[in-house]
Amino acid sequence: MAIVGQKLVKQIQTTGLKATVAQRLDDAFTRFTAGLSWNDVRGILRGDPPAKPNPRVKPHTEGFWFHIRPTFYHEAVTTLYPTFRLGLLSALFFTFEIITGIFLMIFYTPSPTYAYGNMIDILTNVPFGKFMRDLHRLGAEAMVIVVTLHMVRTFVTGSYKKPRQFTWFTGVVLLGVTLFLSFSGYLLPWDQLAFWAVTIGTSMADAVPGIGPQLNLLLRGAPDIGAGGLLRFYLFHVVLFPLIGVIFVAVHYYKVVRFGISLPPEMEAVGEDTARKVPPEKRVNFLPDILTNELMYAGVAFAVLAVSCATWYSAPLEHHADPLVTPNHTVAPWYFYWLQGLLKIPHMIPFLPTSIAVEVDRFFANVFGLTPKVFWGVIVGPLMFAILFVVPYIDPNPSRRYGDRKIMLSLGALFAVAIIYLSLAGIPTGVPITGFGYVGGDPASEVGQAFIPDEGIGPVRRLPYEQYVVGKFAINAEPNTGSAGLDRLIRDIHNDMEARKVRPDPLGKTLSADATGSLEVKQIQADLRQVIITIDYTDVNGAPTQFKKYTFLHAQSGYAD
Amino acid sequence: MSILKKIVTYRPSFTVRILTGLISMLILLSVCTFIGLADQTRLNVRANEFNARSIEVGAKVYFDQCARCHGVNGEGVEGLGPALASEHFVGRIELVRDNMQMQTIRVVQPSERLKQIGWQGTLRDYIIAVTEAGIPIKTSNMWDVTHPTFSERLGGPLRGDQIRNVADYIINYGLDPLPNDQALLPPAPGEGMAPRPTPIPLTPAQEAGREVYLAKGCSACHAIRGVGAQGAIGPNLSRMGAVAEERIASESYKNNLKDQPPATTGAEYIRQSILYPNAYIVAQCPQGPCQANLMPQNYEQQMTPEELNNLVDYLNALR
Repeated sequence: MAIVGQKLVKQIQTTGLKATVAQRLDDAFTRFTAGLSWNDVRGILRGDPPAKPNPRVKPHTEGFWFHIRPTFYHEAVTTLYPTFRLGLLSALFFTFEIITGIFLMIFYTPSPTYAYGNMIDILTNVPFGKFMRDLHRLGAEAMVIVVTLHMVRTFVTGSYKKPRQFTWFTGVVLLGVTLFLSFSGYLLPWDQLAFWAVTIGTSMADAVPGIGPQLNLLLRGAPDIGAGGLLRFYLFHVVLFPLIGVIFVAVHYYKVVRFGISLPPEMEAVGEDTARKVPPEKRVNFLPDILTNELMYAGVAFAVLAVSCATWYSAPLEHHADPLVTPNHTVAPWYFYWLQGLLKIPHMIPFLPTSIAVEVDRFFANVFGLTPKVFWGVIVGPLMFAILFVVPYIDPNPSRRYGDRKIMLSLGALFAVAIIYLSLAGIPTGVPITGFGYVGGDPASEVGQAFIPDEGIGPVRRLPYEQYVVGKFAINAEPNTGSAGLDRLIRDIHNDMEARKVRPDPLGKTLSADATGSLEVKQIQADLRQVIITIDYTDVNGAPTQFKKYTFLHAQSGYAD
Repeated sequence: MSILKKIVTYRPSFTVRILTGLISMLILLSVCTFIGLADQTRLNVRANEFNARSIEVGAKVYFDQCARCHGVNGEGVEGLGPALASEHFVGRIELVRDNMQMQTIRVVQPSERLKQIGWQGTLRDYIIAVTEAGIPIKTSNMWDVTHPTFSERLGGPLRGDQIRNVADYIINYGLDPLPNDQALLPPAPGEGMAPRPTPIPLTPAQEAGREVYLAKGCSACHAIRGVGAQGAIGPNLSRMGAVAEERIASESYKNNLKDQPPATTGAEYIRQSILYPNAYIVAQCPQGPCQANLMPQNYEQQMTPEELNNLVDYLNALR
């Protein structure tokens, strides 16, 4: 202490107090930046060219955070093409999800008794709660898209080829981690959407031959999803998958730095990899060029997310999970639609009569001893994902040039088309025009589902309370209820019914021509009305049948906004 | 093609990068400020919305589980359950909002019932407590049943959130409660155990009629106090003899009778209702308006004439 004091006193005596303080502050600053003095940073911010020898490489050798990053990039990979910065964006979204996720964790209890109430608290009693939840959810959706596009880009530019096979392999692991992170987060709000999407998803595990029930038990903690399942999914979501994610991001990124970002294919000779041999004149320094570029991307990405959540995006929250009530048209999360579509395959082959489809099912059952659910869902589905792992190891073509890779690029396109087609078939409305994969009840109940969906809002709830008139009204083309909004709603129902009378659904069912409907509005309490849609029609057996569906509507429920 | 090439090979200059980044950060900050400034109001508005949605869900639970004994409009059902919509039970409330949209319930007139039984907590607590745990002992001869437990934890059908929804729904009656004279009020504590008036002694034929009533499954839909019949689909028949006489004198009966000659005595009315259930449809059933075609129309084939006579005789004796 005494020595330090003596040195300080001596310095003040020789250079003066002001200069001493300035020099000491600059020292501290330099230690903080791992090697850059205040003037160096100022130069960076002003866009000055670096001095020689370049002081801006020091943080890369001295500091932890920058030593992870390369000191320079090849000029050719700093434009939008070939990377489109999708890897950077994936990492950014991952970080973003961790930050918003920790915020949400503070207000969340993984128990069926509290989880849904916590959601309502987050929305109604936590400052910035809804904003954070929306950001977390939208960020998750964006992350799935960005990670997938990142993989598509890597495939198209052939960047998975030697020496980057293992980088690709870890990337596919990260795609899986992303999907399962998103999927495990789906359950946590404990609403109907969550409960049934995850019930469908995990029922796949139950179908695994031999160990299915055990696997299911391991995943759900009980034969059905309940308190045990919610806690497990929570732990998957906040511990297991993030941990696997962090580990594989580390490996993945180490490989990226080790081999360099692959150059555009046309810049290299076939079979050569020159990413790490960057001539000095082609170098773009990390500091300041790449760093500012990345900060710009981060800023734009987060601003777009924030503006979206402040304007058009709102994370869905449906009714409390109810194991006894399965909502109509339950679906898995959108990135698993393809798996749901896969399960429908035997019934989806174009122009195939149903009896043949049944024969196809029976063939698999008899020859392989596998039910369609096991064959398509447990064997084919995961195999399709597993193919991604081995792509670099089975592609014998050393060339990365587009012209040389016609077969592989066509196969990739075919795979993408198959995934899109299966995804469309996976949703209840099925593939447009052909209607493959369509799932629907009888047409009258589909009218009910279209206007009063079991979950979600729908036209009846979207019409504000004040626009309803108490009374019973026939559904026809010229309603006269005294309320323009209600007239419009009744006309819409009328048009929908008429359309279903003349246009058969993909299963060939129509609404009987004599079908009539009514809409009744009852005052139940102050500020509370019941809206009942009744459809009288003749069913396929010629019997008169009545379909009835109702909902309650409160003056302040705010569905309209 | 060259435009596309320009786009994909675009490399923003240092200035563009710094500016774009700064502008993005400014947008981000303004969004946060914008949200932060009106956050409290927005939270309050959303709380009101979720309260409204809770009432909607509660209404569905009420119709499925409670209406059967407490009435579709909360008016109470004789022999089964007291009114919940009565001013006596819910009192009278107002919703008050401050300028931040914070909504609070202001009690204009507290529940008399809670005072009567000496409940220390709120109305909401009482509703939740009774719905969850039921009332295990019989406190009044007015009811044929005790309040069952509805909580999942105690063997009932409802989860905690559903019970809270239904409490919100019942409290909402307080905005516009039923006047006490239009509702079935429960007896004050201690008064309900008064012995019932001695039942009218039944003749052997009427006794036989009661056996027919129980044997032919009438009790599946129609309740009669004191005989273990608790069906809640069709009208309650506990006072059938008196009701039948009131009914044949009513305008509604005279105007709406279909395909049958009007009954002139109570016994004729009862016979008509058994054999031709669609001839006249009573307005109010335990689960909403009574519906045609719900009651079987083949009792003439199911009973001997003697059984029918005895049944009519028995129902007519219920006053």
